[in-house]
Amino acid sequence: MNVAVTVDAREDSPAWLAYGTPVFTVLAALAVSAIALVVLDVNPVAAYRTMFVETLVTEFGISETLTKAIPLILTGLAVYLPLKAGLFNIGAEGQLVAGALAGTWIGLNVSLPGLALVPLMFVAAAVAGGIWAGIPAYLRAKWDVNEIITSLLLTFVALEIQSYLLRGPMQGGAGNFPQSDRFSEAATIPELFGGVHAGLLAAVCMVIATYVLMTKTRLGFEITFVGSNDEAAQQAGMSKFYVYLLVFVVGGAFAAMGGISEIAGAQGRYRAGFEPGYGFTAIPIALLGRNSAFKVMLAGLFFAVLFVGGSSMEVAFGVPAALVEIIQALVILFLITAEFFKSYRVGIDLKRGPAETPAQPQRGDD
Amino acid sequence: MSEDTTLRMEGILKEFPGVVANDHVDLSVERGEIHGLLGENGAGKSTLMKILYGLYSQDDGDIYLDGERLDLGSPQDAIDAGIGMVHQHFMLIPRLTVAENVVLGEREPATAFRSDAADSWLPAAIRNNSLVQSLAGQFSLGLDVPEQRIQDLADQYGFDIDVSAKIWELDVGQQQRVEILKALYRDVDLLILDEPTAVLTPTEAERLFDSLERLTDEGLSIIFITHKLTEVDAIVDRVTVLREGQNVGTAEVSSVSRADLAEMMVGREVLFEIDREAVDLGEPVLRARGVEATDNRNIEALSGIDLTVRQGEIVGIAGVSGNGQKELAEVMAGIRDVTAGELVVNGEDITGAKPKTFVDSGVSFVPEDRLQYGCAEDLSVMHNATMKDFRDSRFGDRPFLDYGELREYAETLVEEFDVRGVSDVTETKAGDLSGGNLQKLILAREIYRDPDLLIANQPTRGVDVGAIEFIRETLLEQRKAGTGIILLSEDLDEIFDLSDRILVVYEGEFVYETTPAEADRERIGLEMTGGGDDEGQMETSPPPSGVTQGSES
Repeated sequence: MNVAVTVDAREDSPAWLAYGTPVFTVLAALAVSAIALVVLDVNPVAAYRTMFVETLVTEFGISETLTKAIPLILTGLAVYLPLKAGLFNIGAEGQLVAGALAGTWIGLNVSLPGLALVPLMFVAAAVAGGIWAGIPAYLRAKWDVNEIITSLLLTFVALEIQSYLLRGPMQGGAGNFPQSDRFSEAATIPELFGGVHAGLLAAVCMVIATYVLMTKTRLGFEITFVGSNDEAAQQAGMSKFYVYLLVFVVGGAFAAMGGISEIAGAQGRYRAGFEPGYGFTAIPIALLGRNSAFKVMLAGLFFAVLFVGGSSMEVAFGVPAALVEIIQALVILFLITAEFFKSYRVGIDLKRGPAETPAQPQRGDD
Repeated sequence: MSEDTTLRMEGILKEFPGVVANDHVDLSVERGEIHGLLGENGAGKSTLMKILYGLYSQDDGDIYLDGERLDLGSPQDAIDAGIGMVHQHFMLIPRLTVAENVVLGEREPATAFRSDAADSWLPAAIRNNSLVQSLAGQFSLGLDVPEQRIQDLADQYGFDIDVSAKIWELDVGQQQRVEILKALYRDVDLLILDEPTAVLTPTEAERLFDSLERLTDEGLSIIFITHKLTEVDAIVDRVTVLREGQNVGTAEVSSVSRADLAEMMVGREVLFEIDREAVDLGEPVLRARGVEATDNRNIEALSGIDLTVRQGEIVGIAGVSGNGQKELAEVMAGIRDVTAGELVVNGEDITGAKPKTFVDSGVSFVPEDRLQYGCAEDLSVMHNATMKDFRDSRFGDRPFLDYGELREYAETLVEEFDVRGVSDVTETKAGDLSGGNLQKLILAREIYRDPDLLIANQPTRGVDVGAIEFIRETLLEQRKAGTGIILLSEDLDEIFDLSDRILVVYEGEFVYETTPAEADRERIGLEMTGGGDDEGQMETSPPPSGVTQGSES
């Protein structure tokens, strides 16, 4: 008996597959992670129960998840929007930091009533994030400098500036920690419900705004077109320069809002290293949700569950933090791999007789 | 006859959502013949061949090769059965050598996994395990290549290729021969060529035809997909014509005229000669003076162009490819900067303005390269149909855009300009349309906005007879409506048939001006090649007499 592995292109992906694969692949990733849990003598079922069920049913879990989701959704949008114009914003992290720093400075140094101060902090953050993102966008639009590299490198510049400010001019509070003073009552983002701050409102508004921009406006049409074929778009009278600048600046502003809402909503003060890579997690979020701003929101929520559930599992079972990260990474890897199964059919043939040459993968031509 | 038949396809049916691509098509190919498969873009030629090559599976019907029924689940099945295909777009890896490319598709497993390898470090028990073999075949690659065998094969068929050369070192014609070599290496008896001359220069095409004749002498059968009637005459023995997914007949090429074939293809008589009514010329829509521009490598491509186009006038620009036509068209459309000179459109000087100003001033542009400037392949027909007009106020108040209106507008264009293969304007992508239909869509977009100036660069290149006729008639209608048209074409017949005035461009300058009535083809041919050369330098030949006669009624 012979075994042959075959890979065939699908002519069209069935609908059940489009919706079924994410669910199925997440389950598969968890199954693989279970091996590691068993090795560490942790009952995987109980661990996963803590990770997902508890996170999604307890009030604490939900409020933590929603809070975590705010910067994830906003940075997700910061990557998503340039992606629509065919650009990769790898520097959402830097834009988030730049925005958070600017917003924090306003929050600490301006005295206004809360209703005016918090919006002002958001505006300041958005401006700073927009400028930070505008640099790579301008370089790309004007001189075709690769935005992946510039936006990424600017992230490190932003992190160093943060490090300097928090050890120097903006350092505050007791002791010599790299952190700012606590925010006053007025500078703190008010609670929306059950421990979730009003930054959630900002995130949802931005999701809706992005959705409207992309599907209902002329600008969205131009962004889509430039993203698909910039030469044809220019021939039609659209401005690549303007579109590139716009998507990056708006994207940077989104990331910056994510930064300031995390600082002024959840943290209460600026601590160096407050953000566990939101701007980088934003990349898989935007890739998973690349079809619509609402899907970015769903992807952001999903990653928030992974983050929050992961830390609950860490606490409850004494699982090393590294393992939690492994589980998160496996989930991402499996989700990306799943794209392959949407377009290819893999089969195993069991046959008697001489071994056949297995079919080679074939893409549809022309 | 019938014992010579090698391939029979019977009653092939293939449906796609909303479209019947092949409607019970029969096809039979004899051993050692070159069988033409002729049809308009979108007639179902490619679908039929993809079924034969195992890329699609038919919904109904049977395929027999040498009397044996084939069940083709993948191209590998087709290759195993002895059927090879050379695609229009080459599937070669530039950095690898010819030999490596030839072997690549075979997926020889890496040496260590080969069951007959003497020095493998893997125990034989593992190597011979069928699952291991299957995985190794799928995921490992042996690159120790039987170069000599491939070189012999190339020499045998008179392909002048060095098999150890890298693909990027070869010209397009040689690359195509590598593709053919790939098929021959797999021992095929039947070779499918999908519009093989589309990428070749006339000289290279001649060489290809020589090679093909050599192959058939060796007993191979060839299916030659094309929509060019001249090629059918030049190389094909028998031809099968497809129209709208149906087989409308098979004929010996020697016994039918071109006009007959064209009629079979299109389903009605094709007018090779067009009536051009006199139109009164109006105000000048374009006045260009002393225009200079550079090409993409920053070398001067236009050196002082003066051009005036009036309402209702078609100015034909003839020239050998690469004498500044592309740059001229792009400058007039506003997407290439001028280095000197001025451009006045409708009395307004818009030299150096943004492309948007040109679009808003009523300039339309049908670019030479449809996929580069003409459309966004991955976006829907609706996006592409409205790419210029979406700013118009009828599509909603700024900043919002009424997608319902866009859709209706796109549907109107598709209907009025007979763009085929569109099942839903929001779902069908521009890249899924065949060349001719895509060109119709682009033309529709550019013309439906009723431009004052239309620049059409090679508007009928690579499109089928039916679409060519349609496009030329549309241009003439637009001329009647008062549009000034600049027609750049390498097809001299087209220039003669459509233009009011003919300009010859040579090395970025107009060197000769005439009208079709008093034009002397030989003189034009001479001017196109620099004037001083001997006769016989003309790129095009006069139209075959049989064809022009067939269109008198």
